Amino acid sequence: MLNYIWAGLIIFSLVFAIASDVRDLVRDTYRNGDPLPVTLTFPEGYRPEARHQPVVVRIDPATFQAFYRVATVPDSTYAGELVQFRTGRELRFARDVDVPEPLATIRRVTSPRENDLRGTLHTLTLISDSLATAAVLFAPVRFVRLQAITDAAFEFARTAVTLALGLIGLLALWLGLLRIAEAAGLVQHLARWTQPLLRPLFPDVPRDHPAFALITLNLTANMLGLGNAATPLGIKAMEELQKLNPRPNTATNAMVMLLAMNTASVQLVPPVLLMAIMGAAINELILPIILVTLTSLVVAILAARLLGRLPAYRRTDPLQPDPPNSDHPETDA
Amino acid sequence: MEAFRTLIETLSLLILPLLIVGFPLYGLLRRVPVYEVFVEGAREGFDVAVRIIPYLVAILFAIGMFRASGAMDFLIELLRPVLHPLRIPPEVLPMAILRPLTGSGSAAVVLDLIRQYGEDSLFVKIAAVMFGSTETTFYVLVVYFGAVNITKTRHAVPAGLIADVAAMLMAIYLVQWLFAG
Repeated sequence: MLNYIWAGLIIFSLVFAIASDVRDLVRDTYRNGDPLPVTLTFPEGYRPEARHQPVVVRIDPATFQAFYRVATVPDSTYAGELVQFRTGRELRFARDVDVPEPLATIRRVTSPRENDLRGTLHTLTLISDSLATAAVLFAPVRFVRLQAITDAAFEFARTAVTLALGLIGLLALWLGLLRIAEAAGLVQHLARWTQPLLRPLFPDVPRDHPAFALITLNLTANMLGLGNAATPLGIKAMEELQKLNPRPNTATNAMVMLLAMNTASVQLVPPVLLMAIMGAAINELILPIILVTLTSLVVAILAARLLGRLPAYRRTDPLQPDPPNSDHPETDA
Repeated sequence: MEAFRTLIETLSLLILPLLIVGFPLYGLLRRVPVYEVFVEGAREGFDVAVRIIPYLVAILFAIGMFRASGAMDFLIELLRPVLHPLRIPPEVLPMAILRPLTGSGSAAVVLDLIRQYGEDSLFVKIAAVMFGSTETTFYVLVVYFGAVNITKTRHAVPAGLIADVAAMLMAIYLVQWLFAG
């Protein structure tokens, strides 16, 4: 299933990116090659010999809407700069100004570093020495989405490593503490106390196994909203369950159950991030959050248990006695 | 409700220091060489984090591409006709789709809804309950299974997603029932 979801995400991304880029080309969303009419005011008067001079750019809303066939409206004026070379003139909007789509996309694609919208100026016609009409031609914009998905792939690959390395400290702390708890016999005690509750959910885990203690700690940390502790404890619980697994690349029913309970997240305390976003408004939502999270926990447990009974998943259960022709479990699909 | 919340918050405040101090203290009483044993266990932390990297890269870059491709908007358009008879507001659909995939992305959805509709709107309440009551399923999956090198996940994904769908639907109906006057 994960194979299909993973491949599906990648393939759909490409298909939608291409579809949306082709649609942009067909619709001519960015009017590549067509200059946009603008009015320029020179607060200091137009100086033909100056290389840089300030301008105020006016884009007529009706012209803009008709030109790009959109409903958005530009601001009444934009600050900018006129740059004159021997070969021509360039109009640069001030950095980071609030331009409407599709100008925002044109800027993002054509001037990503400076973040100033710029285009070559055609047909500068002076009406007075401080007022002129002109048309500005932006660099052509094509395949925006294709570029975006490529950038996203690289960016998220980097994020993944940052996230994983960020876990090192917490993992080290908790794995160290847990090793002490193991050596002191605390884990075994906790396992004995909590297994009556957990055994029905994890029937394949032998009596008094330390996994029960770690599962308890993991679920408790989750309930209290202690994400920093829950992840290392859950990983340690998985490691204990892995010791009972004869086929180390395949999840056992107990592992699926633990994972399902974790993805359902039994939280009595809302996540810190949500509290930060919602502020005091969170108070009236705490009861619904607890009710929903309990429902999803029950559903997760039932789903993990019932799906495990389906023939397709029974066949791949590492704890099932090997069927006659699977001496090489690695070659299973 | 207020008392319950205070109780839980106090408990979650107390339990960590209790564990962090309690384990070594108990170990000391049981004559465990606590420092040596701690370091030995902590050494594993690095290995586990490094072991997770390929799994995280695999899932995160795919999710990042999916978000950047604009396929979300298309999915919402596609699902719109079935949403109305189910009394699901299309505004909260991005949340339902993004929540299992990315934590930061779905937090951004809540913020976006607040900006568009205000903090008191039903959409914000639904999205916040969705956010608070479920986890980033795929992140949990790759971290927990990646740490022990499990690649054949069997029914873990369907079980997690079924629970997510149940939570999303429950959040939508419960919040509408509680708050829509």
